[in-house]
Amino acid sequence: MNTIYRTTYYTLYQATSDRCFYIDFGQKVVRISFCQLLAIRHKVLSISIEDHFDSEMNKHGLEVLQLCNKKHLFVLNTLEILDLKELMEQGFLHMGLSATPGVLSA
Amino acid sequence: MKDIARQGMSIKVESMDLLNSQIKMEAHASATYLAMASWCDQNGFFTSAKFFRKQSEEEREHMMKIFDFLIDAGGSPFSPEVTGINHDYASIVDVFESTLDHEIAVTKSIHNIVMKAREVGDIATERFLDWFVMEQVEEENTIRDILDMISVTGTEGVGLQVIDDHVGNWMD
Repeated sequence: MNTIYRTTYYTLYQATSDRCFYIDFGQKVVRISFCQLLAIRHKVLSISIEDHFDSEMNKHGLEVLQLCNKKHLFVLNTLEILDLKELMEQGFLHMGLSATPGVLSA
Repeated sequence: MKDIARQGMSIKVESMDLLNSQIKMEAHASATYLAMASWCDQNGFFTSAKFFRKQSEEEREHMMKIFDFLIDAGGSPFSPEVTGINHDYASIVDVFESTLDHEIAVTKSIHNIVMKAREVGDIATERFLDWFVMEQVEEENTIRDILDMISVTGTEGVGLQVIDDHVGNWMD
């Protein structure tokens, strides 16, 4: 497996022979297809970090993430979400599919 | 190392994100024109109601064109959530002026995606949007012509009836 990008908590790998990707979430490693990776990116980058600092919008500062068609469920805190956002932004940058980190305004 | 990500998608994710926003905008435009068709029908502008119904269908076709392009490019299109549709208009002139504002906003959005695609070197997306750029010129021109016709006709007396009849000239 080739490491695409590593953050404080997570690592994104490419498994060339399996034609898929893996994300090491610390407590478990998740196998994902490219389409699923796009879906994870959308979910993660759509999370409003501002809401984590607003007790009415997000009381406990936690996010429940269902990934890979509800196969995996993660409960992540603000720091972990920020870290996962970085993994997605930098991961796509390192894969050459993104020229600038961020975007996703819809 | 084989580039699995590139094998999976032919466009940049920046373009994909902006095209998903455009899908939402086209869906919003389609719903807005349907609301206008309803207003026109309720207020006796039956030809204009047909005109906006057709416009609504066209906007949905635009949305699906982008949706299909994202699928063809290996991207991930999202079905949009459409909210906040205005159903209140002061007059038929207000309806067409709102339409022109809407079309100008769509044009600006398309141009913004073209510029971004150019900036990130996404030639496929830039070329795909060529059709939309020219379509927007046509859409704006149609509504401008109708507003000019309204201005010449005037809204006094039988003016409103004449306006509604004349809108039929722009339906083909």
